[in-house]
Amino acid sequence: MITRRQLLKSTGCGFGYLAAAGLAAQNALAARPNSPAPNPLAARLPVIQPRIKRVIFLFMQGGPSHVDSFDYKPILEKRDGEMIEFDDARTLAKTRQIKKQRVFKNLWGFKKYGQCGQHVSELFPHIAQHVDDICFLKGMHTEGVAHGPSTLFLHTGSINMIRPSVGSWVMYGLGCDNQNLPGFITIQPSMGNGGPRNFSNAFLPAVFQGTQIGRAGTPAEQAKIKNLFNKSFDYKSQKSQFDLLRAINLEQNSHSPGETELEAVINSYELAWRMQNNAPEVLDFSKEPEHIKRTYGIGEKGTDDFGKQCLMARRLAEAGVRYIQVNYGDNSNNPRWDQHSNMPKHKEHAFNTDKPVAGLIQDLKQRGLLEDTLIWWGGEFGRTPYAQDNGTGRDHNSYGFTSFFVGGGLKPGFSFGETDEFGHHAIANKVHMHDWHATLLHMFGLNHEELTYRFDGRDFRLTDIHGRVVHEIFS
Amino acid sequence: MFKRWKRYHLILKTSVMFSSVFISLSLSAKSPQDQIEFFESKIRPVLIAHCIECHGEKKQKGGLRLDFKQGWQIGGDSGPAIFPHKPQGSLVFKAVEYKEKELEMPPDGKLPVPVINDFKTWIASGAFDPRNNPELNENKKTEISIEEGRKFWSFQPVEIEEPNLTIESTWPTSKIDLYVLEKIQKAGIAPVKDASKESLIRRVYYDLIGLPPSVQEIEAFINDESDQAYEELVDKLLSSSHFGERWGRHWLDVVRFAESSGGGRTLLFPDAWRYRDYVIQAFNDDLPYNQFIKEQLAGDLLHSDNWVEKARRMTATSFLLLGPTNYELQDKDILEMDIIDEQLDTLGKSFMGMTLNCARCHDHKFDPIPTKDYYAMAGIFKSTKSVIHSNVSTWNKRQLPAHPQKIEESKIFKQKISSLESQLKELKNEQKTLKDKDTHDFDFGQAIIVDNSEAILSGAWTESTAVKGFIGENYIHTKSNPSGAASAKFKPTISTKEKYEVFISYTPSSNRNSKVSVKVNHTGGTTQLTVNQSTKGKLSDTVDLLGIFECSPKIPCEVEISNSGSQLGDKVVIADAIAYRPAQTINLTKSESQSDVSAKQNHAKKLDEKISLLESQISHLKKTAPVIPSAMAVSDAKDINDIPIAIRGVVSNRGPIVPRGFLQVAPIEGHSFIPKDASGRVELADWIGSNKHPLTARVMVNRIWSWLFTEGIVRSVDNFGTTGDKPTHPELLDYLAQKFVDLNWSIKKLLKEILTSRVYRLGTELNENAKAVDPDNKLVWRMPRKRLDAESIRDSLLYFSDSLDLKTGGSNIKKGTSIEYGYVFDTTRRSVYVPVFRNTLPEIFQTFDFADPNIQTGKRTASAVAPQALLMMNSPFVIEQARKTYKAVRDGDGQVDLDRLFLKILGRKPSRNETHYINDFVENFKVSGTEKVWEQVILTLFQSIDFRYLN
Repeated sequence: MITRRQLLKSTGCGFGYLAAAGLAAQNALAARPNSPAPNPLAARLPVIQPRIKRVIFLFMQGGPSHVDSFDYKPILEKRDGEMIEFDDARTLAKTRQIKKQRVFKNLWGFKKYGQCGQHVSELFPHIAQHVDDICFLKGMHTEGVAHGPSTLFLHTGSINMIRPSVGSWVMYGLGCDNQNLPGFITIQPSMGNGGPRNFSNAFLPAVFQGTQIGRAGTPAEQAKIKNLFNKSFDYKSQKSQFDLLRAINLEQNSHSPGETELEAVINSYELAWRMQNNAPEVLDFSKEPEHIKRTYGIGEKGTDDFGKQCLMARRLAEAGVRYIQVNYGDNSNNPRWDQHSNMPKHKEHAFNTDKPVAGLIQDLKQRGLLEDTLIWWGGEFGRTPYAQDNGTGRDHNSYGFTSFFVGGGLKPGFSFGETDEFGHHAIANKVHMHDWHATLLHMFGLNHEELTYRFDGRDFRLTDIHGRVVHEIFS
Repeated sequence: MFKRWKRYHLILKTSVMFSSVFISLSLSAKSPQDQIEFFESKIRPVLIAHCIECHGEKKQKGGLRLDFKQGWQIGGDSGPAIFPHKPQGSLVFKAVEYKEKELEMPPDGKLPVPVINDFKTWIASGAFDPRNNPELNENKKTEISIEEGRKFWSFQPVEIEEPNLTIESTWPTSKIDLYVLEKIQKAGIAPVKDASKESLIRRVYYDLIGLPPSVQEIEAFINDESDQAYEELVDKLLSSSHFGERWGRHWLDVVRFAESSGGGRTLLFPDAWRYRDYVIQAFNDDLPYNQFIKEQLAGDLLHSDNWVEKARRMTATSFLLLGPTNYELQDKDILEMDIIDEQLDTLGKSFMGMTLNCARCHDHKFDPIPTKDYYAMAGIFKSTKSVIHSNVSTWNKRQLPAHPQKIEESKIFKQKISSLESQLKELKNEQKTLKDKDTHDFDFGQAIIVDNSEAILSGAWTESTAVKGFIGENYIHTKSNPSGAASAKFKPTISTKEKYEVFISYTPSSNRNSKVSVKVNHTGGTTQLTVNQSTKGKLSDTVDLLGIFECSPKIPCEVEISNSGSQLGDKVVIADAIAYRPAQTINLTKSESQSDVSAKQNHAKKLDEKISLLESQISHLKKTAPVIPSAMAVSDAKDINDIPIAIRGVVSNRGPIVPRGFLQVAPIEGHSFIPKDASGRVELADWIGSNKHPLTARVMVNRIWSWLFTEGIVRSVDNFGTTGDKPTHPELLDYLAQKFVDLNWSIKKLLKEILTSRVYRLGTELNENAKAVDPDNKLVWRMPRKRLDAESIRDSLLYFSDSLDLKTGGSNIKKGTSIEYGYVFDTTRRSVYVPVFRNTLPEIFQTFDFADPNIQTGKRTASAVAPQALLMMNSPFVIEQARKTYKAVRDGDGQVDLDRLFLKILGRKPSRNETHYINDFVENFKVSGTEKVWEQVILTLFQSIDFRYLN
């Protein structure tokens, strides 16, 4: 895959070297056959002119309703309460039948915003202020009917097979840009609906797995990288023990000269030590100025936790982390935005995230980070324009939904794709999740058809045999 | 109606529709010139703009090309894409029509309606296409040649070739050594020195039982100078009960063992431990490997002499059910095929080193495995019951055979329980009738009652009298899985226009729908209501007021009860009667004399007492009844069938039916017949486990070799196909494979043969000369420096600190656990008994490259990353073991004998430098406390590379 790729420098990326045994066979390293303890995380050149250096993915777990957020469908109001046949995915999968469903209006109302005149629901007053910076994809569609399959599809491109996550593919393609932190971090991920498989390397080498900071359900200030602190020995005492370890390891290694794998282990200790002494500072945002914290809604009821996650994401982006995922989720089978029976609850989730997301957009813009950083907002699917079981909520809808993007040279104040007049199916300028994956890799400077990994005797890709780069949204 | 609005929507968008309809009526009658013009102006540009990118010279998705006439004539995986004159039968038209979800082209959006109509016109008039490419006439699809495939080395029969040394040598001590030395000599290099005795004992301990030798064991071995010392050591370890724990774990990697289903809604496998124990026992008992295979594939079908054996063998089939399955997948046909696919993938790779699942969608691109073979084997597993369906389905469970006495006891308990339960039922019925009588006395007064017998019915209704309190002869109900709409219309005869109270009578029960749709059609319009039939009515147990409506002779307030809005699985809707009472005669109260009431209450109270006594007796019996365990196990399905090929792997896309069978590339005489009434698992297992199967023995001896030497003779241990590695020592591989079969597939005997070879006893020294010739040590001129795996690290630390609990077998998930998330792994048992959840692994496993339980893993990855270092430096678990180890080794003054500490942790004494560094450290920092200093020294040894690696 990496014919044009070169190994630029031998930085450690904080996450160490892989033993020669694991990767030596990979093409990636064939370019440097004599390199001792080759470092698979060394930054690599992209194959296409890259548009972004990093992404911040704000994962809205559970499936926010597109017809209540950014995809305005006036007909829902007009025909509210009417029973109309819809090819409901769940009903179809179970009964192979099409049934009548009750059209369900949006409960909050829409207004036009910005120069571009984008409609935004009253649920998102803060994000609405930034529509002229946002690129909306309103013809998204994806696979799966239930959360598990669709969440895995969003993160790995497969609903059921074991595949590496998008972040792992990016790491595999590009390596890592910084010395003291992992290149792929997920903040407070959900342990449900696929859990760690959503940031797992699967069959890619273990160095490419996502590093988890905290987990859903624990407060943001407790979100830490594992084993980064020593609770038993103070710094001075641990430092002297670390010096002893260095001496002992060098002594032991001197009896086995030339053993690259042992050198890799010794290096992993050095890097761990550096991480231990540097990473906590990046993750500690207590010294951020008050006005910045306020921008993110930190210190306010509802927005405090997600605000902290978003601010942490900015700090990680500044520190050179390539793939950052921020999770608004929980560990349940009906996560956060999953309003099957109580649509008004959407308001709570919108409130909790609206200001922090807007704050992140504003903060990145102000710092010039939007030039080479992409913000991606979205869920695993959208919701139906009709009430589920004639009730008070909406069911999952993978046929059509909206995700939005900011920065990274995408057309600002732009909307691409559409759903049918009710918002059920994407019908024009459709972007399948595979297409989005292809586009994201393209923006990173990677060709989704060439970024392959040989496993089980065949070459695997993130997009399998699918995927189209959506050039129409590039400015 | 869905289709109607969709069409409506499209008409709005396109105003030119009528002109193309006009063309379609007239084209077929026109001249060839018109046809060319039509194709060139209407069809070719669309094909170029929307189709050829994926169905042209560069890409042929679905095997289809549309850039030449012959492309659509030959067609792709689903056959010809266009049938001239038959647009409705042509896949191309169906695809652009966008009516089937699976078949929508182009994928990024529907074409405008006029264009779709152009395609219809074009095909209807004969699909004139001037684009010719004679090359495409030949069937370009390359048939896999099975004959060619058989020539590949791994499908060839095992053949013995004697080793032949170029230079005479005294080095070899076994046949294996001769094979290895032959190649080393040819390369012009030499094997390195043998390992030292202290390295050797540490190596063989970890290799065979996954634990370090004790200081005493090391000393005894080093001091034993007899020739048999090593062989005796090997024998001792092979017969240790810890052998199965170590080698069983290797097998558990291969078969993706886990104790939860993983994926989306991960479900616990509470009985998976039985399979783990089965595997450990099989290795300890040295069950012949081909028998081991047979039991895992078809243990439930094998003849067994006694219940113990029967239970053991049934448990073995858990092998088929332990996969990572998304049981919540809603399309159950796809779910079943996904499970079968996973089963084939696992057994293909585990037993034969073959990736079969490529052939699910197309003939295997690299190996001689046609799709036909895949579905021949898939038919075997489609005829096997693996799953129990529900909204979230589950794996198949079977009660295990048990001691006859226990079964007898269990029967007696069951009889007792069932007799008490029938008494209970009677009493409850009595209680119910009493209540029914008590409550069904709502006074309708002068009401007009329309019974269900007079209602106008549509859809499926069933009469019933099961729940009392109904009006008339009976009531009617819908099915809980409605196959269509059902409604009952109640129409009274009304003589004057006035207001009526309209009542509904129904017999409530928990199996009733709680949102029954009821429509009242009155003079003011139609009112849509819902009635909760699962609970009692508001006026009496069985009566509810729908409302007060004005009715007239013309509009007599017809009431429609229906299952509209019901989903599959929803509860039933019932219809009994509707009553209409003129609104002025309101009397909603019941009247009863006081004495009647108290007599009834007395009787009811007694009944209640009897019932609660019976209930407590039953629950006590249920608690004390002997439990007959269940296991995850398969059985042959009720329907034994061959299945059709699913074209491109899409289940609904049915191709020809294939008879059940095995891989054509490896036919073995006497192994082809599958009886009509059996799934074929026994026959499949017999074929795989046959002494003549070219792959089975080779794959397993190669695994065994790789577990001892880090790398296999075939380095791609799970892939013996054309994309895998070739054997570095084909003759040695075949020698071992034949030997394995000759030893009646005994793993222990084969291990002894390898362990007593000189190759196994080589040192790990890196010889510069040999390294220059063979940097990857493919010729095995040294023993690779092996790393301790996650389990060995964890077990060793617990062992050093005297904390390791050596209890064997049994259930291991904490009681009361319902989901894997948040599970606290605090057991001190050996690692093989730590629960393996697919989404939640113990940190130390995850960090140190434990096999991903989602994937069949013959060879674990080997990483050296910072999180490992962080864990060894800072994890409370590691620090705690250092602390406890100190307590275990300190003398009365709190001091530690450095020689013995090194022997314990690293299996050797310290070097002069090591002693020097450590003494310095202890001297400099003892001010901070002897205990703390020594804990840090021990921690340092845990972190040192000589602990992590075997020399």
